[in-house]
Amino acid sequence: MTDRIVFDNVSKFYGDVLGVNRVNLSIPPGITSLVGPNGSGKTTLMNLMTGLIRPTRGSIRILDLTPDQPEQLFHLVGYCSQFDSSPKGLTGYQFVYSYLRLYGFDRAKSEELTWRAIDRVGLREAAHRKVAGYSKGMRQRIRFAQSLAHNPRVLVLDEPLNGLDPLVRAETIALFRSLAKDGCHVILSSHVLHEVDIISDQVILLSGGYVAAEGNIQGVRSEIEDHPMQILIRCDRPSALAARLFTEDHIVEIRIHKDRHGLLAKTSDPDRFYLLMNHIALDGFSVESVAPFDDDVHSVYEYLIGAEEVTR
Amino acid sequence: MTIPAIIRLEMKKTFFAKRGLWIYLLALAPVALFFVHSMVELRMHGVRQEMARKSLRPLTERDFASISGGMSRADVIAQLGNPPVTSSRTRRVRTGRRAFESISIETFRYSDGNNELTIRLENGVVAGVGRVSGIGLGQDTYVFAGVFQFFFIRLAIFFGCLGIFMNLFRGEMLDRTLHFYLLTPIRREVLLLGKYLAGLLAAVVIFSTSALLQIASLLYQFDSDTITHYLDQNGLSQIASYLGVTVLACIGYGSVFLAAGPLFRNPIVAAAIVLIWESINPILPALLKKFSVIYYLKSLCPVEVTLAPGMPALFALLASNPEPISRYIAIFGVLALSVVVLAASARRVRTLEINYTTD
Repeated sequence: MTDRIVFDNVSKFYGDVLGVNRVNLSIPPGITSLVGPNGSGKTTLMNLMTGLIRPTRGSIRILDLTPDQPEQLFHLVGYCSQFDSSPKGLTGYQFVYSYLRLYGFDRAKSEELTWRAIDRVGLREAAHRKVAGYSKGMRQRIRFAQSLAHNPRVLVLDEPLNGLDPLVRAETIALFRSLAKDGCHVILSSHVLHEVDIISDQVILLSGGYVAAEGNIQGVRSEIEDHPMQILIRCDRPSALAARLFTEDHIVEIRIHKDRHGLLAKTSDPDRFYLLMNHIALDGFSVESVAPFDDDVHSVYEYLIGAEEVTR
Repeated sequence: MTIPAIIRLEMKKTFFAKRGLWIYLLALAPVALFFVHSMVELRMHGVRQEMARKSLRPLTERDFASISGGMSRADVIAQLGNPPVTSSRTRRVRTGRRAFESISIETFRYSDGNNELTIRLENGVVAGVGRVSGIGLGQDTYVFAGVFQFFFIRLAIFFGCLGIFMNLFRGEMLDRTLHFYLLTPIRREVLLLGKYLAGLLAAVVIFSTSALLQIASLLYQFDSDTITHYLDQNGLSQIASYLGVTVLACIGYGSVFLAAGPLFRNPIVAAAIVLIWESINPILPALLKKFSVIYYLKSLCPVEVTLAPGMPALFALLASNPEPISRYIAIFGVLALSVVVLAASARRVRTLEINYTTD
């Protein structure tokens, strides 16, 4: 049994409207972020993954199961959708507990799992209050609890950090990490690129229904050849170092850092650049640090999808 | 274990949904009707008993029949005695351009304790005789049959099932909560069955209770001897038949409206289509008739509503049952129709996609 989520040439059309087109993915365990502007196909991909919609073409296998096998599949998959809705009249506890009973758990086991899930999202004290009376963040958390209560191996989360305060965000991200560490797939979508950057083991960049890039963010960045890589060098004599670097033909631009304690170099050949840095140290420069400056999701997103989309 | 869990989850939606309160009103409307009827009849019965008590001698049907138009006031009194209840007034009638004539109008009311005779005298001569029959179970059971067929099945249960069963899928799509079910490890066919049984439980409890309360309200006006006699004769089998028809109507209309839920965004459209189809059943070709719930239910109703002369055309169409079928075929027919509709619905639900933004 494979541990991957596999999309094989998947397309989804809503009538004439494109949802996603020719998607080929093989997602390993860990935290995977779907990133893209509104309408890029993130939710469509998630709905396809969880069988809520069917592909027009192609096939999807989640840990070797298809969405046509709900009895096996949904023991392994949990989905927290972006819709801020829950069945009317239920308390947080009843909401989680009632759906757990549909998984075939007996009363005692359902109660145990319900409390465990509620504790994981920190809602024990509010558990017996009606969900309708919760704040937006609490509703988000109880839906998150409902999706993970049965201990799924694949957790699909559409905009899971929306409406959460900073403290709960940090706790939730820690929970994602803990789940990923245990070998789970945590597939999430987010507009907050900074957080995606921190959280994700891999990203899938979507644009207009197509997968623009996928994989480890540094790997994706290194494959973008149109944009020279930016590297931040912290050193004692940035002007002298700039003059030295300009003698190399792969350096295309250098800017002295505002605090005059470093410089930002753009290189078309990162491998040669890092080799050069070894010699620089021997030339008497005191180099404090050398770090890529634009291998984060924000930069990759900007290069691949466009600056105007990032600001949306 | 899954289906009871679904039923438990659906219970609040089917029994206690705020938007379903009108279903209870619909179910209780005929109960209120029969209860008010009983109370009025009981009161009138008391008045008639009092009139009979005040009469000089016990009156009979024969005495009532002896009164006819043209008789004088004295003849009436000689025949029936002094009236226990009288009223009088004068009316001015125009006889010429400026000429008026005063007519003395008297009303005599007699009773034998159950029936009532009202005699209208104009200037001392009988001008009209009115007869009001008192409490009679036969007449009331016939009225009950009419209300049961025309209002209870065709409107109360029909629209009640529309409200309960269409809400099971369509309501959840509007509330954006259906995906919680579709993400659990149960086959969609099982989900459909669970929801159907939950809806059926609610519909049967609500409408069977209503039917029983209607019968109880109707019988409330009668003394225990009359009720015992009715139950000993064919009352029990009639009550059982009414309950059976109620349950079968819930089964039939429930399956139809559950199937309509994922198909129609607007329940009014579904209601209109099914209502028209059910209403024109008597004029449909023989084969198409069988795809109608009312076709089977009509043949199962214990008291036939006959076509009275002068009945409005619509009522005549609704009441007519040109080809009654046997009880067993009718029961099998409703059940088979429901199974077919549920099977078609299961096929639809199996491929149902959740895309709330377009719903």
